[in-house]
Amino acid sequence: MTDISMQVANVSKKFRLHHERRNSIYEAVTGFLKKNTHYEEIQVLDNVSFDVKKGEMIGIIGKNGAGKTTILRLLSRIYQPDSGTIITDGTVIPFLGLGLGFNPELTARDNIIIYGRLLGFSKKEITEKEEEIIKFAELERFEDIKIKNFSSGMAARLAFATAVQVDPDIILVDEILSVGDITFQKKSYETFLSFKERKKSIVVVTHNMDIIRKDCDRVIFLDEGKIQIVGEPEKVIEFYTNKFNK
Amino acid sequence: MEDHNTFWKRKTLIWDLAVMDLKLRYRNSILGFFWTFLEPLLLLLVLYVVFTNIFKSQIEYFPLFLLLGLIIWNMFARGTQFGLNSILSRSGVLSHIYVPREILPISAALTGLMMLTFEMAVFGTFLVVFGLIPPATVVILPLIFILEFILVTGLSFPLSLLNIKFRDTQFVWGVLLQAGFFLTPVFYNTNILPEQIRRIIVFSPMVQIMNMARDATLYGKLPTIESVEISLGTTFLILIVGYAIFRKLNMRIIEEL
Repeated sequence: MTDISMQVANVSKKFRLHHERRNSIYEAVTGFLKKNTHYEEIQVLDNVSFDVKKGEMIGIIGKNGAGKTTILRLLSRIYQPDSGTIITDGTVIPFLGLGLGFNPELTARDNIIIYGRLLGFSKKEITEKEEEIIKFAELERFEDIKIKNFSSGMAARLAFATAVQVDPDIILVDEILSVGDITFQKKSYETFLSFKERKKSIVVVTHNMDIIRKDCDRVIFLDEGKIQIVGEPEKVIEFYTNKFNK
Repeated sequence: MEDHNTFWKRKTLIWDLAVMDLKLRYRNSILGFFWTFLEPLLLLLVLYVVFTNIFKSQIEYFPLFLLLGLIIWNMFARGTQFGLNSILSRSGVLSHIYVPREILPISAALTGLMMLTFEMAVFGTFLVVFGLIPPATVVILPLIFILEFILVTGLSFPLSLLNIKFRDTQFVWGVLLQAGFFLTPVFYNTNILPEQIRRIIVFSPMVQIMNMARDATLYGKLPTIESVEISLGTTFLILIVGYAIFRKLNMRIIEEL
């Protein structure tokens, strides 16, 4: 594994689609007695294999429900694959649903600490970087305010600023350009690109073809859980648009 | 290749999460601590009035006996309830960041243990008020508390995940706790119970913990070999079985969040 940072081999994943969700002990017992299957299985990912090189930015495109976010969740270990293996070299930081991990009752400062700790910082590291994070998030006057009084954009900015400080080797991004206002989006995007220059790997899920065209080295087109095509952005985008314009 | 995201690499997170939780429970204030302690204190008052005036309890140092019992029971009840919610209440984070999940129930039990420590400080002042100098056997009390912490952890493992799978687990557990409160000698002494019942409830680790803690703190008695064996045996059995269930359920449960 010299220049490969992440290797995905034959990964499959099924989800259960619950028709009647048995969310209580009572329902589980009565449902068991009725003996009908209460869910069907859908194959979200079917035998997916690819690898990510160091310093490479890979885009994943496809329709809603094609399995894009599931891939990111598998890569970040939140989900376990049913079969297949995922090998990663280095720290993985997911930028999925930024700010959802914050506790509304704690101040920005406390949240930075605990969010950073959850992301894998040591206590010492995160305390040292606290000021830098607040500065990056442009929240200098708000550090002692509780998160519940933050706007969602401010919270997302704070989460983003914390996560980039981890100095990850592999970054997983779900729809990058959705954090904060225009200037902050520009800043965050430039941060991603600077990671790429420093030989970090980025896997990005997006519907924004400009990003795919301009900055991705390779693109994966995913449809119905299968990889349809992998390759140069132009080639894949053409294939993608042709497929759905028919 | 080294995996940085294993339980052992991330174990210091247990402490930090517990401290953060504690801050939230006490709302960053001394008054917050007072509020959380007010509930057991009021219960103490009620039980004290009932059992000294109406039932005329013959127990020596009854107020202290009762307060210690309530504090120890609270650690159990609160700890398992924190544990029960430990994963569900962080579903936001857990569906976006990978954290070894064992950390959460353990950290919840630790929050319970921390609250117990604070409450024991209050108990200390009560000792002073009643002018009781605890006997030397009190030194084993921390060990008993650690045992209780292990017990709470062992129960929190399966509860935390079962509560995701079945959302009514918390209500069922609430009822069981209620029953446990009466089956555990919190406001009475085990020797008032009929022989048949006593023979069964000695196998409850909480009964053993309760008796051992009081004997050591108030009456200068060390636990019997039998008590030590039963409490250690049942506690570790619960821990092992609880963790096995946790491991079995852990793989897919986050998808259900």
